[in-house]
Amino acid sequence: MDKVYTLGIDIGSTSSKCAIISDGVNIESTHIIYKGAGTDGMDIVVKEALEDLNMEPSDIKAIISTGYGRKSFEAADKTMSELSCHAKGASFIFGPIKTIIDIGGQDAKVIRLDDNGQMQNFVMNDKCAAGTGRFLEVMSNVLHVSLDDFGKYDEEAEDKAPISSTCAVFAESEVISQLARGQDVRSIIKGIHQSVATRVAGQAKRIGVTPKVAMTGGVSRNMGIVRALERELDVDIAVSDNSQLAGAFGAAIFAYEYYLKSMKGD
Amino acid sequence: MSISTILNKFDIKHADIIKKYQEEGKKIIGCSPIHLPVELVYAAGMAPMGIWGSYGEIARAKEYFPAFYCSIVQRIMEMVLDGTLDVLSGIMVSTQCDSLKALGQNIKRVYKEKNIPYIHVAMAQHRKIEPGVDFNEIQYRKVKAQLEEISGNEITDEKIEEAIKLYNKSKVLMQEFVELAAKHPDVITPSWRSIVLVNANYMDRAEYTEYLEELNAALREKEVVPWKGVKIVTTGIITNSHSLNEIFEENDMAIVEDEVAQESRQFRTLVDENTGNPIRALAKYLGDIEGCSLMYDPDKLRADMIIDKVKKSGADGVVYVQAKFCDPEEFDYPIFKKALEKEGIKLVMIETDQQMTNFEQARTSLQTFAEML
Repeated sequence: MDKVYTLGIDIGSTSSKCAIISDGVNIESTHIIYKGAGTDGMDIVVKEALEDLNMEPSDIKAIISTGYGRKSFEAADKTMSELSCHAKGASFIFGPIKTIIDIGGQDAKVIRLDDNGQMQNFVMNDKCAAGTGRFLEVMSNVLHVSLDDFGKYDEEAEDKAPISSTCAVFAESEVISQLARGQDVRSIIKGIHQSVATRVAGQAKRIGVTPKVAMTGGVSRNMGIVRALERELDVDIAVSDNSQLAGAFGAAIFAYEYYLKSMKGD
Repeated sequence: MSISTILNKFDIKHADIIKKYQEEGKKIIGCSPIHLPVELVYAAGMAPMGIWGSYGEIARAKEYFPAFYCSIVQRIMEMVLDGTLDVLSGIMVSTQCDSLKALGQNIKRVYKEKNIPYIHVAMAQHRKIEPGVDFNEIQYRKVKAQLEEISGNEITDEKIEEAIKLYNKSKVLMQEFVELAAKHPDVITPSWRSIVLVNANYMDRAEYTEYLEELNAALREKEVVPWKGVKIVTTGIITNSHSLNEIFEENDMAIVEDEVAQESRQFRTLVDENTGNPIRALAKYLGDIEGCSLMYDPDKLRADMIIDKVKKSGADGVVYVQAKFCDPEEFDYPIFKKALEKEGIKLVMIETDQQMTNFEQARTSLQTFAEML
């Protein structure tokens, strides 16, 4: 019997992620491009994923788009919210989990799952950059340190500079003042991570944090944030090289379920 | 007449309603927010018109209020300052929350220069006890005198009684409409439901009542089509945003009940009829209101009322629409959340304000909520 290929695309605010899977369980191709909603990133990432497999769009049985730009992907059979997709995708990556912390480019979400991996509750941040990838980007620009190096700098820090404000704009001024006082950049970065962790942990506690906890979204690549969150929540947090692809995996799995349903005529 | 033809009668632009009143030579009294003695305005031969819940830019109002101030109140002030409300012959504001108290005082100052009367409606917090009802009756007598002066008409007890009966009749019809809307979400979409209920604040009440009788009759006759989407109960101050209602529709969410100030809270309590003292009946009405965040309620009955609505309507979950910086609603939320969680009722909170042009976060939250349900 021929394999059934489905595609999930997660169009975030700063990046587009695509996953093609077969029969709802096998990862066939994944791609990430750092071009998000409103760019040609979504088309490029799908093209690259298809080229990997030497496939045409018509070989894909169903497509689900998710993320901030989900409505703009016209080839999708259906859109689903990124929270549902991250819940599905994280269970696929990590196995049975109860709490997901998803920090993306412009928002932070915490999802609680039940024993069957079904979403039980969720919480999203308000229209505010605090506790999001955008906050870290602003800090990266102020400090002239690449975001990719934030985790390493955090690990090397001997102490933690206090960043009291959770507002991205005020925190920027605070960081500039710390630099002017000669504070070590590593300590400032550790302080920034603590500031994000405090904010997100407060959000997580609103719906309750139950192990096993996993982190998804682009910010999960920053181990400084992961460690700060572990300290703040007093739990171990699982991360994976595929954490950033959780939404795309979830969308691809939902696309497979959608295909099966449409075959049954539901 | 088809349901869509009747529905279109409710979809009238506010500017057209004002024009109609002006052509009829009817003076308009702006009213904010709910639970005001609009029956007195009607009895004076004038048109009470809601002035809260508009959307748009807030610029000049910032001269009067800090940025973190209720945007519903700020929008009213903006319309006062930019001249939108200059068509009014008077403006009536109550003291139901701290933000409204300051709004009233600011309007009074601005309208003194424009020579538009400001009608201050002080409401006793202890509204259920006799001295509270006495206080509210005294306030309403002052309001009556002011309305008589503006209209040039005497407001007799008979006229007030007539107005109470008309408003009660429309309230009963609105209660029935809510039940019918829950049975027919295929035609009474969240947008239409909102238009029908909210426009009661603008249209002539006699005309509105007549249209609603027609609509309910048509809906009673309509065959029920099984609903495949999810059923929700909404709560908050206002949910009249077109974008918000579109999101409900996109996600196949039917509003089967509400506990929204601009909707059910305005018609779920009737005023006593034939008491011999209709002004006191209006004052007593304030004490009869239950579960409204804008009214002092030491028992906090709102959560229990919603739980009851969820059970009776068979709703799948509750959407708490938090008007940004509306503190009475913010104070209610933790109590509300705890009570609903205890009952195992799913709840999502979304925040809105009157300047919002981008609803993406609300869209994601509501789509997730619908998928979760």
